[in-house]
Amino acid sequence: MSEQGGEVLRIEGLRKAFGATEVLKGIDLSVAKGEAVVLLGASGSGKSTLLRCVNFLEIPSAGRVVIDGTAVGRERDGAVLYREAELIPIRAHVGMVFQHFNLFPHMTARENVMEGPRTVLRLPRAECRERAGRYLAKVGLADKMDAYPSHLSGGQQQRVAIARALAMEPRLMLFDEATSALDPELVGEVLQTMKDLSDEGMTMLIVTHELGFAYAVADKVLFLHDGRIHEEGPPDELLVRPREARTREFLRGHASFRLPEAEF
Amino acid sequence: MGYEWDFGIVLRNADLLLLGLANTLKVTGLALAFGLPLGLALALGRLSPRRWLRAPVGLVVEFFRSTPPIVQLFWFFFALPLLTGIEIDPFRASVLTFSIQSSAFFAEVFRGGIVSIERGQWEAAKAIGMARGQALRRVVLPQAVKRMIPAFLERVIELMKTTTLVATVSYADLLYQANNIAQRTYRPLEVFTVAAVLYFVVLFPLSLSVRGLERRLARSGETTAH
Amino acid sequence: MDHVWDFTSVIASRKLLLIGLLHTVELGVLCLVLGLTAGAFVGAARYSRNRWVNWPASAFVEVFRNTPALVQIIWFYFAFPILVPIDIDPFLAATLGLSLNTTAFAAEIYRGGIQSLGRGQWEAARALGMTYGQQLTRIILPQAVKRMVPAFMNRAVELMKMTSLASVIAYGELMHQAKTISTYNFNPIETYTVVALIFFALIYPLALAMQQVERRLRRSE
Repeated sequence: MSEQGGEVLRIEGLRKAFGATEVLKGIDLSVAKGEAVVLLGASGSGKSTLLRCVNFLEIPSAGRVVIDGTAVGRERDGAVLYREAELIPIRAHVGMVFQHFNLFPHMTARENVMEGPRTVLRLPRAECRERAGRYLAKVGLADKMDAYPSHLSGGQQQRVAIARALAMEPRLMLFDEATSALDPELVGEVLQTMKDLSDEGMTMLIVTHELGFAYAVADKVLFLHDGRIHEEGPPDELLVRPREARTREFLRGHASFRLPEAEF
Repeated sequence: MGYEWDFGIVLRNADLLLLGLANTLKVTGLALAFGLPLGLALALGRLSPRRWLRAPVGLVVEFFRSTPPIVQLFWFFFALPLLTGIEIDPFRASVLTFSIQSSAFFAEVFRGGIVSIERGQWEAAKAIGMARGQALRRVVLPQAVKRMIPAFLERVIELMKTTTLVATVSYADLLYQANNIAQRTYRPLEVFTVAAVLYFVVLFPLSLSVRGLERRLARSGETTAH
Repeated sequence: MDHVWDFTSVIASRKLLLIGLLHTVELGVLCLVLGLTAGAFVGAARYSRNRWVNWPASAFVEVFRNTPALVQIIWFYFAFPILVPIDIDPFLAATLGLSLNTTAFAAEIYRGGIQSLGRGQWEAARALGMTYGQQLTRIILPQAVKRMVPAFMNRAVELMKMTSLASVIAYGELMHQAKTISTYNFNPIETYTVVALIFFALIYPLALAMQQVERRLRRSE
């Protein structure tokens, strides 16, 4: 794997409730620089919500998110208050890749990638163009710069979305089931792009159902169940010899998982 | 039944009718110019997360959508000057009324267009660090506007039809001119028929383009906002 | 500037307002019933493959949709009597104008509702061996009518507002009564405010109900 540095992300006692239903019931986790951490869990276990709390698309009900040593939000009377103006620079430094890509359909691939650097970072136009070219080339789409999303395959769209997030030169990348909406034959190209990123030392927090990918790429795997981290460990322990019955049951349900040599 | 049509009278007064049509278009155009930006502002107010803003804006929009425009016009023309002590002529009262009245409808067109954009687009914009205003301007509105065009044109048609009310406060629009000529010449049948034809000639092509656009948007898989 | 609001003269005229309100509702309901009924036939005629049926129906719809309702009312009041040997009073002129106007819009709603279903439903019904009439009444209309309800309610809202146009030809509905009251009492501020509020109280519940129905339909589809 990659060399490890300081801590990029720490989550302490994170809770999130939607109305009366508590989805996250106290999560603690830490991601070091260059690490790839994979979150597993059945649907409804809260893994997407956890990811969305890291860039504050969801505002946590309790607990703290610490990014690069700085706790986000201000504590007052036991509650944590968040101001939108404070969250914007956080989001600018944390990239997110969505299940359904969410590319901007009225912009070309290049314009999609330029949009963040231009509008949010306010970089000069020429530099944005250069960045867009560089990151689209990196995800293997140098020849699709001027294509609109509707003319790209699902796999290509998702790689544009990855380039869009990378163009912000984020400290941390979040992947929310990035391959779940893809046709099976397109999954591989996106996973390969993600693996390359991890190999280059990108810090990543990944929600996925691709156990082979988790095995090959993760430094650490967390299994979420019922809003809590039920079990965690390195992939060759958690995925191969899980201690908890629930984890075993979950892994059995993913019969497609074949050990080591898998897809990589 | 042996009525003898005589359109010569209409022809001899064509300049008056055309002047009326020009005035109709002028009121429509001005109401549009003021009503559109105001409508966008009202839509944003109605979509605001702040309740103290959302609730009163919603009430204003609903009030102007749910009361007859002629009542609004009479209020602005007869009541408002007494309340404020500011004289207001028929032209200004008309532009004021129809700007506000149409803005309430445009607000709903804007709102419909904005909420028709999937949540994922807002989230993607947020995720790269955009503020709400940036997300709206750069990502949501450019997509929404395309879907709103048919509904928007539909409102323009309704607006122009509604402006006939200005005749009731003696502003010399097409209907007012027609009425004058009809009374002077005792030829209401020809005059009002021609006036109706003139409205039709302006509005029908607009209607056709609405339908054409809707069909084209439907074919490209776009939904239209109503 | 420092107007002192005084509603006593409006309250004293409540009988006039009440009569006006009754006339408004009467005109609105009558034109709605006439328009929705006739609209079904005109809509069906527009659907017909016979040119002699669908062409006049289309022309009728386009003319009434693309000219102002006020012009229609005034035409029926001042121009139409010249063509027909009958007396046309304000009520009849307003009824003609508004119900034909509603007919034209309703025809389009029927047509749009039926077209929104797509061929699959017709074909499935035909595949079961249903006749054209059975296909229409058993399969198509029950689904289409549900989708048309919000549009019909919207027509009712628009129509209730349009009844106020009848004041222009001196039919004694609410707006006309307001003009009379404000002229006699020199109290346009209070009168028009009250009348605006009455219209709002009459029409807004309809608009609200329409939004409710729309929301429920969207959730069920």
